[in-house]
Amino acid sequence: MSKMERKTNRSIVRIILSVARAWIYEPLTLLATDKRAVAGFIIVLFYVGLAVIGPMVVPLNLTPNLESAYLPPSLEHPLGTDPWGRDIFAQLVHGAPDMLIVAFLAGLITVLVGTVVGIFSGYSGGTVDLIVMTITDIVLTIPGFPLLMVIAAFLIGSGIEVNIFMAAALLSITSWAGLARSVRSQILSIKREPYIEVSQTLGLGKLHIIFSEIMPNILPYIVMNLILSMIGALYSYVGLMALGLLPYRPGNWGAMMHMAMAVSGTVTGVGSWYVLAPAAAVTILQIGLVLFSNGIDKIFNPRLREK
Amino acid sequence: MNWILKRGLLAILTIYIVVTITFFLVRLMPGNVVDMLVITYMRDYGMSREDAYAMVKLLLDIEPSKPIWQQYLDYIWSLLHGDFGRTMSSGGTIPVMQPIVAALPWTIFILSLSTTISFLLGVGLGMLMAYRRGGLFDTGASTFASIVYAVPNYIMALFLLFALAIQIPAFPPRGSYDVSITPGFNLPFISSVLYHAFLPMMTYVITSMGGWMLAMRSNTIRVLGEDYVIAAEARGLKDRRVAMTYVGRNAILPLFTTLAINLGYMFGGSVLIETYFGYSGIGMVMGLAMSYRDYPLIQGTFIILVTAVIVSNFIADLLYGKLDPRVKLGE
Amino acid sequence: MSTPLIETIHASKIFEVRKGLLGVKKHIRAVDDISLNIGENEIVALVGESGCGKSTLGRLMLALLKPDEGQVKFRGEDVWSLRGEEFREFRRNAQLIPQDPYSTLNPMKKVISALYPQLLKYKIASNRSEARKMSAELLEMVGLSPPEDFLNRYPCRLSGGQMQRISIARALSVNPSFIVADEAVSMLDASLRIEILDILLNLRKKFSTAYLFITHDLAIARYFAAGERIAIMYLGNIVEVGDTEEVIQNPMHPYTKALIMSVPVPDPKLAKERGLPPLRSLEIPSLVDLPSGCKFHTRCPYAEKICEEKTPELREVKNRLVACHLY
Repeated sequence: MSKMERKTNRSIVRIILSVARAWIYEPLTLLATDKRAVAGFIIVLFYVGLAVIGPMVVPLNLTPNLESAYLPPSLEHPLGTDPWGRDIFAQLVHGAPDMLIVAFLAGLITVLVGTVVGIFSGYSGGTVDLIVMTITDIVLTIPGFPLLMVIAAFLIGSGIEVNIFMAAALLSITSWAGLARSVRSQILSIKREPYIEVSQTLGLGKLHIIFSEIMPNILPYIVMNLILSMIGALYSYVGLMALGLLPYRPGNWGAMMHMAMAVSGTVTGVGSWYVLAPAAAVTILQIGLVLFSNGIDKIFNPRLREK
Repeated sequence: MNWILKRGLLAILTIYIVVTITFFLVRLMPGNVVDMLVITYMRDYGMSREDAYAMVKLLLDIEPSKPIWQQYLDYIWSLLHGDFGRTMSSGGTIPVMQPIVAALPWTIFILSLSTTISFLLGVGLGMLMAYRRGGLFDTGASTFASIVYAVPNYIMALFLLFALAIQIPAFPPRGSYDVSITPGFNLPFISSVLYHAFLPMMTYVITSMGGWMLAMRSNTIRVLGEDYVIAAEARGLKDRRVAMTYVGRNAILPLFTTLAINLGYMFGGSVLIETYFGYSGIGMVMGLAMSYRDYPLIQGTFIILVTAVIVSNFIADLLYGKLDPRVKLGE
Repeated sequence: MSTPLIETIHASKIFEVRKGLLGVKKHIRAVDDISLNIGENEIVALVGESGCGKSTLGRLMLALLKPDEGQVKFRGEDVWSLRGEEFREFRRNAQLIPQDPYSTLNPMKKVISALYPQLLKYKIASNRSEARKMSAELLEMVGLSPPEDFLNRYPCRLSGGQMQRISIARALSVNPSFIVADEAVSMLDASLRIEILDILLNLRKKFSTAYLFITHDLAIARYFAAGERIAIMYLGNIVEVGDTEEVIQNPMHPYTKALIMSVPVPDPKLAKERGLPPLRSLEIPSLVDLPSGCKFHTRCPYAEKICEEKTPELREVKNRLVACHLY
């Protein structure tokens, strides 16, 4: 290797090490101070692991076997069987990727749209700001989940194919507004900060000011909101599925709840595992996300690090 | 004065927009609902195209031959007269407004009671947590609050139903009251109503109070650090007085914006919750409408439900306006 | 006379205030018809009480605000008509040192990020390592030693004095010909002030920078602008301009006199002898509801009828500019 190549290799290693330290080691040590956040993180990690590895490890057999219907939990069927004799645990595991991906996508879309709208409105100011904020206020006032229900009802009635991306986009239809509003008000107050004024006298340019000066100040908030948006998206996604308003997907937790209600009525003894297992799966994931979000603020905010 | 006007106009504008969205959903959804219904009627009832068409027109209260803007005006006109068309599931006999009007009071009853209880509980506990910050009570209560905040309200309904109505039959699993009792202002009826309302209310209260607790806790902590509170304590005012009039009042005010979100959350969850509890409120009606694909009824319940949310938000705004002196004096 | 470096010509800045959605629209003339020039390498101290519009005037000179009336010129050219390369050149030459040391730096970014972006942008440094070296030199210049200690720190780990020094280094990093120091030492502890002012004065010798030194503190103005000019501002107008020491020893405008008399004197006997400034009213009129004619007439002990009717112009009287009907 030439001297140049060796030098480049060394700097690459240095960069990787510093990134790893800043983005993995430091955040984890900070997180470790809050026990509840650690618990949340572990739960979320568990679900992600389940979604990634689970389907490869746990076999899914969807052929009906009515003799084994409604079996209670056993070694062979850790969470029992559904009305058609199929293993509930396997269904949960195979439904996990779908749930996580849709929730994450929807959260991502919500945060992207909300941030862009908020920054655009806040930085532009004046009439543009007024118009955009009025629209945002109206979207905010419309109750999101009922609207989703109606749109989904009409969609499914008109026989349109709803894929993952459409579902994710649908779930974000009103949730971006809250974030847009708070990002905008943060931009408004940051805009007036002296260091932004000086960035202007230094002639550093709009793009630099928005992405290099303003963004780091709202980034912790945005990441926090990603988790919160995922929580909301999961609520709506499972809710819509539980109502049977989105096309059936095998293993989808909400769909299982819907099937349970359609077939067994309510949580009567025999069918209870079929409805409670996915319900518990959703609940524990939500709890994990909430606890995790409580600890995230510390990681991204160097000011809080002093404490 | 000014501010109330602005909020009022916004409320009316929002309702109007929702009404318009619903209009276009029916008519402009790709794979037009009207056409699909005509096909369904032709197939299921063996009607001729004209008959099926006439049926659908009657049910959805639309006239597809007219130009869109005229249909729109007709639509708005009927709505203002309280005419939401007729339900499909009744074959066009029962007007949509009927089941809605019968069901709405039940939901309003449960939701207003639940909101009040969860708000008072949450705010009270939140303040207590703030005053005992860092202690065992605070940590335990915060964890509790985070957990119940995370549980989706309709799933809490399932859990409560399972635990307290099936496993331990402490509460009735279905219905809004015992149908053998005649409705009226008599004790058996009222107690039956409350008995049946208990589990649904518990669902709303438990899942909502977490948010209140945490928000009030952080607000109170913030206010406790403010100069005017320290000054009040230094002046020798009694702790209780300081807590109530200085800290409490200032910490609660920002929570009113959360009230609006919370109401939307409860109304939204009501569809599943009332369905699970068999509780005859507007949520259950909407749920049934959706499972039967009864579009006029879906439309009607949606508009009424959304209007109920928006009106409740507006009332909350009015209340906030009365309490916050900055708004009262027209800042 | 050579072209002044920065010049405002009858510049005004009007802010609109409206009470509520249906209230009356009121206009605040934060800067009212001000013509002030600053020459190359010159110091002008701008003194006035809070709310008189001095910060607004500073920002007009930096083209952070656009004048509603009049012009702002840089070396003879209207700043707002400059385009492209010429405007960038102006930007490089006009910098700001803000008042609050605790919000003058971006709390989420390291100290070095306050210095190197502009070094790279204006090609003062050709690459990152050179920029880093120059940043270190800049920190040394403002007395932060060893600079490596500071470059990678976040603002939360710095004291007010240290942050203000970085703010100065930042302003000087692009070698500007003009700096607006907006109450640059007002929020620092008294013991630090002279030190920071001395840094500014020393570096001025090195970089040949002109200053608009905004302050409400006459004593600070007297120290910093010694041998240079001072301008007194009241409710949006400049009322007196002249050599610093002369204006302070022999104030001409009644407001200047009152200002000088209100500087607290440590010796109680002297204070008692001196007495209070002879003002007719202690209330400062609101900027929304200004007095007619000369804005000071409601409080001026020498006010006459003409003061109520006609606004006095800023005229040259004996090597000084005064806006008063007395002269």
